[in-house]
Amino acid sequence: MTEHLLIFLAGLAGSMHCIGMCGGFACALGADPRGRTATLRRHLIYNVGRVTSYCFLGAVVGHLGVLLIGHDGEGSAGSAAQRALAVVSGLLMIAIGARFFGGAGTRRDPLRVVGAEPLARALRSLLRAPGAGAPLAFGVLNGFLPCPLVYAFAAQAAAGGSALAGLQVMAAFGLGTFAAMLAIGGAGLWWRARVAAPRQQPVQASFLPAPRAAAAGLDWRVHGVRLAGGCIVLLGLITVARGVVPMSAHWH
Amino acid sequence: MSAAPSPACAHCGLPVGRLGRQRELQGDTRWFCCYGCCLAFQVHHGADEEPQAAAALIRLGVGAFLAMFIMLFSLLDYAGGLTGEDAWLRAPVHALQWALATPLLAVLGAPFFAGAWQALCRGRLATDALVSVGVLAAYAYSAWQVLHGGAHVYFDTASMVLGLFTLGRYLEAQGRVRAARSLAPMLAAERAEVRVVDGATQALRPVQSVRPGELLRVLPGERVAVDGVVVDGRSACDESILSGQSHPQPKVAGALVHAGSLNGHGVLLVRATVAGTQTRWARISVQVRDALAAKSMAGETVERVVAVFIPFVLLLAAASAWTRGLRGSGDDALLAGLAVLVVACPCSLGLAAPLAHALAIAQAAQRGILVRGGGVLERLARLRGVAFDKTGTLTAAALQPEHLAADGATHEEVLRIAGALARGSDHPASRAIAALAGAAAAAPSVDEFESRPGQGLIGRIAGTPRALGSAAFMQSLGWEPPPSLLAAAPAQSTLVCVGWGGRVHGVVALVAAAVPEAPAVVAALHRRGLQTLLLSGDAAANVEPMARELGLGGWQADLLPEDKVAALQRWAARRGAVAMVGDGLNDGPVLAAATVGVAVGGATDLARESADVTLPPGRLDALPWLLGQADAARRSVHANIAWAFGYNAVALTLAASGLLQPVIAAALMAGSSVVVAARSWRAGRRATSADRGAAACVAPPIARSA
Repeated sequence: MTEHLLIFLAGLAGSMHCIGMCGGFACALGADPRGRTATLRRHLIYNVGRVTSYCFLGAVVGHLGVLLIGHDGEGSAGSAAQRALAVVSGLLMIAIGARFFGGAGTRRDPLRVVGAEPLARALRSLLRAPGAGAPLAFGVLNGFLPCPLVYAFAAQAAAGGSALAGLQVMAAFGLGTFAAMLAIGGAGLWWRARVAAPRQQPVQASFLPAPRAAAAGLDWRVHGVRLAGGCIVLLGLITVARGVVPMSAHWH
Repeated sequence: MSAAPSPACAHCGLPVGRLGRQRELQGDTRWFCCYGCCLAFQVHHGADEEPQAAAALIRLGVGAFLAMFIMLFSLLDYAGGLTGEDAWLRAPVHALQWALATPLLAVLGAPFFAGAWQALCRGRLATDALVSVGVLAAYAYSAWQVLHGGAHVYFDTASMVLGLFTLGRYLEAQGRVRAARSLAPMLAAERAEVRVVDGATQALRPVQSVRPGELLRVLPGERVAVDGVVVDGRSACDESILSGQSHPQPKVAGALVHAGSLNGHGVLLVRATVAGTQTRWARISVQVRDALAAKSMAGETVERVVAVFIPFVLLLAAASAWTRGLRGSGDDALLAGLAVLVVACPCSLGLAAPLAHALAIAQAAQRGILVRGGGVLERLARLRGVAFDKTGTLTAAALQPEHLAADGATHEEVLRIAGALARGSDHPASRAIAALAGAAAAAPSVDEFESRPGQGLIGRIAGTPRALGSAAFMQSLGWEPPPSLLAAAPAQSTLVCVGWGGRVHGVVALVAAAVPEAPAVVAALHRRGLQTLLLSGDAAANVEPMARELGLGGWQADLLPEDKVAALQRWAARRGAVAMVGDGLNDGPVLAAATVGVAVGGATDLARESADVTLPPGRLDALPWLLGQADAARRSVHANIAWAFGYNAVALTLAASGLLQPVIAAALMAGSSVVVAARSWRAGRRATSADRGAAACVAPPIARSA
C-alpha cells in the first residue's frame, strides 16, 4: 500500500509537469455556458476518460508482462525473467525520473518525436463540441498522448506481475493527477465563473497556460516537477531492488 | 477511358473507384475512396472547428472508452478474478460487458455494416462484409451465452476486432495520403482558386470562371492557375510540373507565365490569355486523373480474385467453425470461424497495384512526362523493342541551313526570292529558309502564291513566276536544275531549289541534326536488352547514315504512314511488345498501333491523342528513366501481391485450423495493410532520392558518348 501511496504522491506532484501540456488541454476545455455545475461535470468526465486510459494501459502492460514471463513459483526461469523485467523497468523509471531534475533544456517535445502532433491538433476540435461525448473522447485520447510520466508508471506496471497490479499502479497515478488536473481546469474556471459572473466567452484554446499564471506558478511548478522526479526515482529504486533481492518482493 | 471520370478522394486524392462513398461534410459533398480516408479526413480537418468533424473523433474516443472497460473486465476474467468465491460476479460482469458492447457496436461498427450493406446492394461482397459477419457473430453468440448463463463471452473479441480494424483503416489512409502527396499539384488544377482583380476590388473565384483578358494577382508561393502574360511585378516561377525543369524561370512584365508553375518570392499581376479551363495544366490534370482511374491489368486481376476470394472465405469460415464444432465446443467453433473471417480481409491486396502505379505516374508527371494509366506502366515494363520516327524525334525539329549555291544570280538574290516564298509556308524547310533570309534583305511581295504539299511553293514576284521546292518539283515545272549546283551540296542534306525564268538559279542545302541525347538514349535502351528500329518516311540516303551513326538495330525508309503501321506490326509479330516513339501528324496511326505509343514534346495534338506516353519537349532522355520507373513499379506490385497472397495463405491456414486468436488475427490484418502501404511509399521515396542523384548524372553519359 505504501508503494501505491508513493505513486499517488508522484502523480500529485507530477501534475505540476502535466500543467505544461495536459494542463493546457484542461484549461482549453473551457467553461460550459450552462453554468458551474455543468462546467464541473465537463471536467469530471474529461478526467474520468483520461484516468480510464491510464488504467487500461496499466492493465494491458501488466498482462503483457505476465504473458512475457509467465508466473511460476520462485526460483523458476519465469521468476528470474520477472526479476530481470523488474530491474529493467526500475532502471527505466530512474532514467525518466532523473530527467525531471535537469536537462530540461535539451528535452525535445515528445509530441513531435512520436508524430502525434496532428492528433493533438485534431483534438482541439473536441474542445468546443457540446455534449458529454466530447470531453470523454478528449480525455480518453489525451490519455494516450505520449508523456514521460505515463511511460515511467507503465514501466512499473509491466513489472507488476499481473494485470490487476498494473491497473492498480496506473490507477494510483491517475488518481494522483486527477485532483490537480480537475483543480487546474474545472475548479479554476468554476472559481472564475463565480467571480466574474456569467462568462459566455469561451476560454482561449491554447496549449500553454496563461502567461500570468505561468510566471506566478513557475517556482512551485519546478519544485513539484522535481518532487515527482524524486518519487519516480525512489519507486524505480524499489522496483530494481525487488528484482535484485528476491525477499523484497514481499516488501509491501 | 471512362466518359465520366471517377471523382478524387477528398483525403488521399486518388480516384474513389466503384465503392466510393459520399458524405456531406463542412457544407460540401465530398467523396472518399474508403472508410479510412473518410475517418482520417474528419480527424485532420477537426482544426476547422466544425462540429461534424469532431463527431468522428468523439465516436473514436467514446468507442475506445467502452472498449477499454470491456477489455478491463475480460482481463479480470482471464486473470481468474471471477472464480472461486467471486464466481457470483460472473453473470453481472458479463451483463455489464453486453451493456457496454451494444453502444460500441453502434459507434464503431456502423461504418463497417453500412459499407457491407452498400456493397451488397450493388451485388458485391466487400471486405466490410467479413468484418461485419465476424463481429456480429461474436456479439450474437455472446449475448446468447449471457441469456443462458454460459461461461464464455466474446464481447472483448468483437470490440477489439472493431477497434483494430478502425485503427487499421486510419493508418492505411495515412499511408495512402503520404504516397499520393506528390500527385497533389497535378490534380489541383480543377480545384484551384484565383484572385481576380477588377479595378480596386479583388475577388476569389474558381479558376474555371476565368475568361481571357482578366487580370489576376498571384501571391508569393502560390501556384499560377492560368496561362497569361505578366503585366506587373517581378518574380521567378518553378515550372517543373510542366517542363520537368526545376530551375526557376525569371518573370518580369511581358513574360509569359504558365498555369501549374509555382510562383517564387514576388507578387505578380497576370493577364489571362486563355480561359481557365483551357490551360495545359488543366489538361494535364484531367489526364493524370484519368490515368489514375484507368484500371491496370494487375488491378483488374486482383479485383477478380478478391470477388471470388470473399465468398470462399465465408465458406471456409463456416466450414472450419463446423468441423471445430463437431469435435469441440461451440466456443472453439466460433473462435475458429471468427479468426478466419478476420484474418482473410484482403485489404492489402486491393492496395498493392494502385499505390505503386499512382506513385510512378506522379513521379513521371513531376518531370512533365504524362503516362496514361497503370496499364501503360505494365506494358512499358514488358517491352522488347522500341521503334523511332526520324524527323522531329531523333532529329531536332528545326532544320539547319548548311550550304547555299547560286548559278546565274547572286547569293543575295537567291536568298531574297527563297525567303519571300518561304514566308508563306509552315513547313520545317520553309521555316529554316525564312529564318536564314530574314536578316538578309527586305522581302519583296508575292502574288498568286500557291503551296503544293510535298513538292514546293510557287508565286509571282515582280511579275515573274518563281518557285521554291525539291529538284523533282523543278523538273515537273520543266526547269532542269544544273548538275553542278546539286553536286556541290553536302551529302545527307535536304536540297531546296530556287528557280525563275525557266531555270534553277540556286540551291539551299538543309540538314537535320540528330538531337544531342539520341545516341545515349539508344545505348541505354540497348543496355536494357531492347532492340531498336528506325521507321522513316524520309529517303534511304538520309535514313541509313543516321541509323548507323546512332547505332540503331535496323532501319526502313520511304514509308508512308500506313507502311509504317504495317512495318511496326510485322516487327511486333517477331519481337513481341514494341513501343513507337514519334512526332508529327503522320505518326498518329503508328503510335496507336504500337503496344505503347510515345509522343515526344512539341508533338501535334493528333499524335498526343493516340499516345500512351507524352515526353516533354526535347527530353528524349526521359525514355530510359521512364522504363526504369515502370520496371520498379512492376517489381513493387509483384512483391506487394506476393506478400499479400502469401500472408493471407499462411494466416488463413492457421486460422482455419484454430491456431489463431481472432484478436491477434485482426492485429495481423491491420499490420499487413500498413506494411503494404509503407512498402509502396518507401519504394516511391527511394525512387525519388535515387532520381535526385541521377538528375545530376544525366549529362555525363551524353557527354561521354558524344
